[in-house]
Amino acid sequence: MSLVVDKPRGQGLTASALLAPATIFIAISLFAPLAILFRYSLNDFVPETKTMVEALTAANYAKFFTDSYYMAALGTTVKVALLVTAVCLVMGFPLAYVVARTQSRWKHLLIIAIVLPLFVGNSVRAAGWMVVFGNKGFFNASLMGLGLISRPFEIMFTEKAVIIGIIAVNLPFMVLSLQSVIEGIDRAVEEAAFSLGAPPLTMFRRVLWPLALPGILAGTILTFILAMNAYATPFLLGGPLFKMMAPVIYNEFTQKTNWPFGGAIAFILMSVTLSLTLIANLLIQRRSAR
Amino acid sequence: MSNHIKLKRRAVLGGTAALALGAPAIVRAEDNKRVVVGTWGGDYSRLLTKNIDTPLMKGWDCVHAEENAPPRKTKMLAEKALRRGTSDVQGLSSTDMYEVSQQGIVETLDYSKMPNAKHLLPAMKYPYGIGHIYSGKVILYNPKMIAKKPESFAETLNPAMGSKLGIIDIQYQYTMMAAGLASGGSMGNFEPGKERLIACKKAGARIYPSNEAFAQALKTEEIGCGIMWKARAVQWQNAGIPIETVAPKEGVPMYVSGFVMPKNAPNKEGAYAWLNAMMAASAQEGFAVDMGYNPTVTDAKVPADVQKRIGFTPEEQKRLVDLDYGYIAKNDSAFQDWWNKKFKA
Repeated sequence: MSLVVDKPRGQGLTASALLAPATIFIAISLFAPLAILFRYSLNDFVPETKTMVEALTAANYAKFFTDSYYMAALGTTVKVALLVTAVCLVMGFPLAYVVARTQSRWKHLLIIAIVLPLFVGNSVRAAGWMVVFGNKGFFNASLMGLGLISRPFEIMFTEKAVIIGIIAVNLPFMVLSLQSVIEGIDRAVEEAAFSLGAPPLTMFRRVLWPLALPGILAGTILTFILAMNAYATPFLLGGPLFKMMAPVIYNEFTQKTNWPFGGAIAFILMSVTLSLTLIANLLIQRRSAR
Repeated sequence: MSNHIKLKRRAVLGGTAALALGAPAIVRAEDNKRVVVGTWGGDYSRLLTKNIDTPLMKGWDCVHAEENAPPRKTKMLAEKALRRGTSDVQGLSSTDMYEVSQQGIVETLDYSKMPNAKHLLPAMKYPYGIGHIYSGKVILYNPKMIAKKPESFAETLNPAMGSKLGIIDIQYQYTMMAAGLASGGSMGNFEPGKERLIACKKAGARIYPSNEAFAQALKTEEIGCGIMWKARAVQWQNAGIPIETVAPKEGVPMYVSGFVMPKNAPNKEGAYAWLNAMMAASAQEGFAVDMGYNPTVTDAKVPADVQKRIGFTPEEQKRLVDLDYGYIAKNDSAFQDWWNKKFKA
């Protein structure tokens, strides 16, 4: 009897046919524009006429790393993204745990309530925050009306407003990523830890956290990438004096018409985001392998 | 019976084929009657429909592509290599019109194709575009908050105003221009104003991202003065914002908003028809009444009360100064760098 299993004829062809449309679509819609943008990022720019001149230079990349203005924008972006990710994790984990463990017949409504904010676009949500954060907005008017403060808090057009706004956008992504993984962790392992005398915090640290790591990794990566590339929220809530990378890139392309430098910054942002994500991935994988 | 069915199927197939063959011709015919107008959204777009598209472009399908000017300029540049672009006319400020003309992406206009152009003010007749409306940069102040009426840019862009002074981020060109004029500079030299602006910011001047945010701050009396087009000030006065306007002593820099035709406009005939309609007296009168900008044609009859609010007195008209487009275009990147990295830092 032969051990070789004969594949039905044409199976490979069918698989290729199924793979091809998505692959071709990704290749054309993602990699082709990226390749063109990368080529542009090596071109020169003439500020006097705002025109791009064909060249092969790394000057745009060098300019970014030698100009404190752009480095500060990158620093702010990384700082905000890390902070937002940490806050989303801390706030999202308990919520995800409750949603995952609840036996209530209203569980589906809880999940819909978490997803509901995603039904509204980022800019619309940011516009809502503008109404809340203004000097005479809901927040300040309420506190002043209650006599708790005499002068309004400066929230609008500050880093605080941007952080609150991005957390509101990203929190559902974190909660959903965590909830799906926590649901897959058998409740019996938690009970086993308790029955062996572990207090709740030890159970969390020694059992729940390590088992939930895949979800934590997925949630933090998703939240971090979204925060690094946030555009509408920093643009609308950060105001003129606050700079994150995505609005800076948009400004280079549209206001200055400097496509080569805009392209270079876009690639730098992409590289930094990918590098930090990979490092986090490796660190967490190494830790979970121990 | 089966023959009957076959015949029907053939007829359907034949009809479909005929439709498929004829479809491009139908689409082309529709294209010939479509004019795509790139414009700012909001009131500007609404008033173009009200005063130009609906009453004067009967038989044409006028489609508005609404966006702020920078992304529209970027799209025009991105479409440079295309034989057929996606817009027929584009609304831009006079500085932007000059910039796109320097980039070689707009058509040199044939004014003989637009009969209404004979009434156009000479200053509004650019080889590469047509001035649609104009206003001037004036001082806005709230008499309740500012005791002494500021008469000049120097008295307005003044560190002594502290946090009562508001500055609009996207108006960096005109703000640098006004500060330059206030500090001994000229329309071709904004450099002397830089120190003044830095001093104002250090003294607490507040910076707003948009014209609308600036208006809101005037309304809530977060700030008490600043500089803006007179037309916008009139709109804000109408909306109940407590401000007065002053034509500055140093000169009133003109703001012109106009339209250009991209070189690769798919429907140039339609574009000329639309530009001609734009210069019609009725359309210009409508814009003056509804939006507070001055007409750019001599045959527009603006009601006296409107003229009094939006226009400039003969004395003020003498102080109207056009921009040095070459200087601004050549230095705009440097202006933005200074504004972002030094002034806003």
